Amino acid sequence: MQDTVTTSALLDPSHSSVSTQDKSSTGGHTSSTGPQPSKPSSITPVPAKSRNPNSGANFHRMRRIIAEDPEWSLAIVPLLTELCIQHIIKNFQRNPILKQLLPEHQQKILNHLSPNLPLAVTANLIDDENYWLRCCMQRWPVCHVAEHGGSWKRMFFERHLENLLKHFIPGTTDPAVILDLLPLCRNYVRRVHVDQFLPPVRLPAQPQTGDRSDSGSEGEMEEPAVDHYQLGDLVAGLSHLEELDLVYGVKDCGMNFEWNLFLFTYRDCHSLAATIKACHTLKIFKLTRSKVDDEKARIIIRSLLDHPVLEELDLSHNLIGDRGARGAAKLLNHSRLRVLNLANNQVRGPGAQSLAHALAHNTNLVSLNLRLNCIEDEGGQALAHALLTNKCLTTLHLGGNELSEPTATLLSQVLAINTTLTSINLSCNHIGLDGGKQLLEGMSDNKTLLEFDLRLSDVAQESEYLIGQALYANREAARQRALNPSHFVSTITASGPENSVG
Amino acid sequence: MSCWMLVSFFLRQYWEPLWPLCARGESWVSMMEALGEYLDGKKESEEDQSKSYKQKEESRLKLAKLLLCGTELVTNIQVAIDIREIHRRVEEEDIKRQRIEKLENEVKTSQDKFDEITSKWEEGKQKRIPQELWEMLNTQQLHCAGLLEDKNKLISELQQELKKKDDQYVKDLKKQSDDICLLLERMEEQVKNVMKTFREELYHIEKAFEVERQELLASNRKKWETALQAHNAKELEYLINRMKKVEDYEKQLNKQRIWDCEEYNMIKIKLEQDVQILEQQLQQRKAVYQLNQEKLEYNLQVLKKRDEESTAIKSQQKRKINRLHDTLNNLRSKYAKQIKQFQEENQSLTLEYKRLVTQFKELQKAMRHFALIDDEKFREIWLMNEEEAKDLIARAFDVDRIIHTHHLGLPWTAPDFWFLKNVGPISQQPQKSAMQIVEEMLLRTEEEEAEEAASESESYLDLPKQISEKTAKRILMLLCDESGFLIESKLLSLLLPLEQSECYLLRLDAIFSALGIESEDDLYKLVNFFLQYRAHHLSSSLQSKPCSQASVEEAGVEGTSMESELELAERTEMQGEKEENLVEGKKEKEKTPPSPWVIHPNDVLKILEAFVMGLKKPRDSRAPLRVQKSVRSKSKDSEYWQALTTVIPPSRLNLWDALYTALEKYHLVLTQRAKLLLENSSLEQQNTELQALLQQYLTAKINSELQVPPTQVLRIPTK
Repeated sequence: MQDTVTTSALLDPSHSSVSTQDKSSTGGHTSSTGPQPSKPSSITPVPAKSRNPNSGANFHRMRRIIAEDPEWSLAIVPLLTELCIQHIIKNFQRNPILKQLLPEHQQKILNHLSPNLPLAVTANLIDDENYWLRCCMQRWPVCHVAEHGGSWKRMFFERHLENLLKHFIPGTTDPAVILDLLPLCRNYVRRVHVDQFLPPVRLPAQPQTGDRSDSGSEGEMEEPAVDHYQLGDLVAGLSHLEELDLVYGVKDCGMNFEWNLFLFTYRDCHSLAATIKACHTLKIFKLTRSKVDDEKARIIIRSLLDHPVLEELDLSHNLIGDRGARGAAKLLNHSRLRVLNLANNQVRGPGAQSLAHALAHNTNLVSLNLRLNCIEDEGGQALAHALLTNKCLTTLHLGGNELSEPTATLLSQVLAINTTLTSINLSCNHIGLDGGKQLLEGMSDNKTLLEFDLRLSDVAQESEYLIGQALYANREAARQRALNPSHFVSTITASGPENSVG
Repeated sequence: MSCWMLVSFFLRQYWEPLWPLCARGESWVSMMEALGEYLDGKKESEEDQSKSYKQKEESRLKLAKLLLCGTELVTNIQVAIDIREIHRRVEEEDIKRQRIEKLENEVKTSQDKFDEITSKWEEGKQKRIPQELWEMLNTQQLHCAGLLEDKNKLISELQQELKKKDDQYVKDLKKQSDDICLLLERMEEQVKNVMKTFREELYHIEKAFEVERQELLASNRKKWETALQAHNAKELEYLINRMKKVEDYEKQLNKQRIWDCEEYNMIKIKLEQDVQILEQQLQQRKAVYQLNQEKLEYNLQVLKKRDEESTAIKSQQKRKINRLHDTLNNLRSKYAKQIKQFQEENQSLTLEYKRLVTQFKELQKAMRHFALIDDEKFREIWLMNEEEAKDLIARAFDVDRIIHTHHLGLPWTAPDFWFLKNVGPISQQPQKSAMQIVEEMLLRTEEEEAEEAASESESYLDLPKQISEKTAKRILMLLCDESGFLIESKLLSLLLPLEQSECYLLRLDAIFSALGIESEDDLYKLVNFFLQYRAHHLSSSLQSKPCSQASVEEAGVEGTSMESELELAERTEMQGEKEENLVEGKKEKEKTPPSPWVIHPNDVLKILEAFVMGLKKPRDSRAPLRVQKSVRSKSKDSEYWQALTTVIPPSRLNLWDALYTALEKYHLVLTQRAKLLLENSSLEQQNTELQALLQQYLTAKINSELQVPPTQVLRIPTK
């Protein structure tokens, strides 16, 4: 009895009181009729789940009305439509009938279909999100549907495809496995996220596993044979592909580490470049942790020049040096790139200078990430100079770049002038005490910056605190602006005293 | 180097999974933030509730701080690892550099050693003594062993380093997993914290709202109650007031009722009286009414009758109108017909009139034609008769002459009468047109010029005697040259191909037609006018000369002098070398002063103008002249004919009569003689015939045959 109450309460809190009243009344009935008050409590969930009125016949004899079961009916013999629907559900795999039915019946069928039906039947027939929700929930315990545009169907196909690609072994797996799926999923997949590409299995598999400890040097000798799966056919088939997130590596290798598990060969690189060049719908391209060096980066960037829609390029955690950075700089002015991520590469001063040169007159780029490079003051100053003229960039990450006081002085000038930047990260540098003071000076004239990370950069705590106060004031002002944009001026004036108080 | 890569690689490998977690944490945080902000926004709408607003602000700040600190706490790990990585990289670079230096040193030393050894090999080759060679080989071996040992040592060192790095790698892995755990822990803690604080804050805010609501409720209830009380009091007051008013009104009503009753009664009495009066009046009215009714009925009858009558009249009138309409229509149609008829008539009459006009014209034409013909006939008859008469006259003259010469033996002179020379009808002396004259003149002058005849003195013209032909021609030529403007341009273009004389002729024709010169007289007038003008001009110029005897008035004299002058000039010009003329000219010159014979061309126009002005008047009286001409001739005719009859004078006739009688007598004598002669001849003839017959008989055969021949008998007589 309590069980039903809780479920109903969860389902519909507004009806809870009614149901409790109902319960009490039924309780009254039961008490009058019979000796088993505990029995119905164990049975009540059964009809709700099995949806078979016959199974609960015993119970129904005692209870006339069940409020929480919408499909319950007084009729003892099921309706013909019910029977038909049951039959359709049973034989859906062989004879899928859906579109011809009335909407309510369709809904009923969709609610009862098994999530294990072959995709060839369901993929292009069923659009109902609930069905795909059940499919997803059945296959994966954790589902972030928000990452897939809020569509369960898309999520199902994207993750399904990802799974197939992850476990594809070139040479042994049949490529038809993926290509067969293509006509089914081509309209639903918008994002391909693959964080591992398995290398082909070599013939001496046993010895390799045997003495893996010292095969590191040998593995490198056989490089030509370790090309990965070529994405060309798949990507060409996916008509709505917008995001490509690739990692040429193997996950969870642990102590089985081998260098040749992480090879991004030239052939891979060329085929990938051709693939992304042919894909005109691509908006986001990510190629991380794949040992992409200057040459490969240039090959890929060359294929991306003048791409019509590309907005985000992420080449973080690779081995890109100054030449690669120069290529990326060229790409900045030959595309509509909005986000560029070169974090954790080997970009040094000259590379940063070329990026700065491109940035100076760019009007597309919104975010630039150069974390964990080594651009030093040379590159830092160049970037600061570029930001004096740039009117577009909002986010800049220069953490861990061996920057010091000269960059800080220039950046303080930038802070005073620039009105577009909202977030700067200078953590893990050697700004120093004086640099911190100068940045504080620059901050005092700035009203737009919302985030300014100066952790572990040798800045005096006092100036860091004051900068934090200024940022807080800016954030408050921004919040006021967002809440009532019409009273823009007044809020700024209002935020003045607040600022002084803070 | 490889170790460094390895480590950095693994660092990446194991760090990366953290980022999404961090990101997720951040996203969670941001979600909470958004929630907080939403709550803020919700509360902001009730800004006037100061207490809740304060609470909300407070909690918002608190939450923001919490979130900031929390994210900082979480990201601190990342930052720490970043900086650790940087330090490691720097260290790694140092170590790498040292290692490379070391290796380079090693390479250098080993190279030196190797060079030493190889140089010793060269030395060894020169050694000839086996012991020395052996020794040397031993030392070489030792050296090599040393070199190898060094290398091995280095290798083992490096391997040890590698092993260390492996250990380091394992440690790093462990550390990183620890870090990840820490991060997760912190995130979870953060999430819990945030959730807790949010819940707390939410609770606080709710509480604050609750309190505020309670307060508000209480205050409102108080207000409500006071208001209700006031309301009740007022209601009571109103009720009492109302009751009082009701009483007042009742009293007033009563008063009013009594007063009304009295008034009612009074009015009733008055009204009853009125009713009586009115009834009386009604009776009267009724009587009047009846009377009126009767009157009206009678009137009605009368009117009805009248109406009937009027209807009858009306119908009559209507019928009349209809009839009149019919007649009107008939008349109209008739009128139209007549109009048509008259029009037709008119047309026919006009046609006839036209025909008559044409007929008349034709008649006129015919008349003119007949007149001409008549003229002609008349002329012919005249001529015929004249001829006949003349023949007769001639015969008479012949006869007369014969009589005179043969019979009378007198000399005969032919009588000279004017009418004998006349040919054709007298009155019809042809009026030549100006053009004809000019033409003739031109022809003549041309002929003259062609002949170069000196017989200029001869003048054949019917021109006025004073003017010579040449002068006239000159003047006309001048006129022709000067007044070209009177000729139409078309004509000029047509004239170009013609001969000169013809050209002149045609030009003059045009000019004359323009000037209105038609007849011979006009032409003479013109020429005269020219001459006069000149004379006048000359005289005015030559007045001072003593020898100018010619007066201005005497146009004739002047004309002659002028003529001579002109002729002279002409002559001098044309045949200036002829001496006799020259002499004559000199003679003449003595008589009249020398002057240019030509009229100056500039004067021509003036002269013409004057002439045209002068000519205008006589022209008007021209038409009646013509008629007279045709009538005038008859008296002369009879005279003429009469004259013709009296060609032979009566004295001569008497003579002739006498002569006749004498001659008759003579004739008689002659005839007698003739008769006698005839008798004589006949008698001779008879004689001869008788002789012939006698001869015949004498010679005839019968004579022979006959017994007595007569011949013999007779012969003798005949012989």
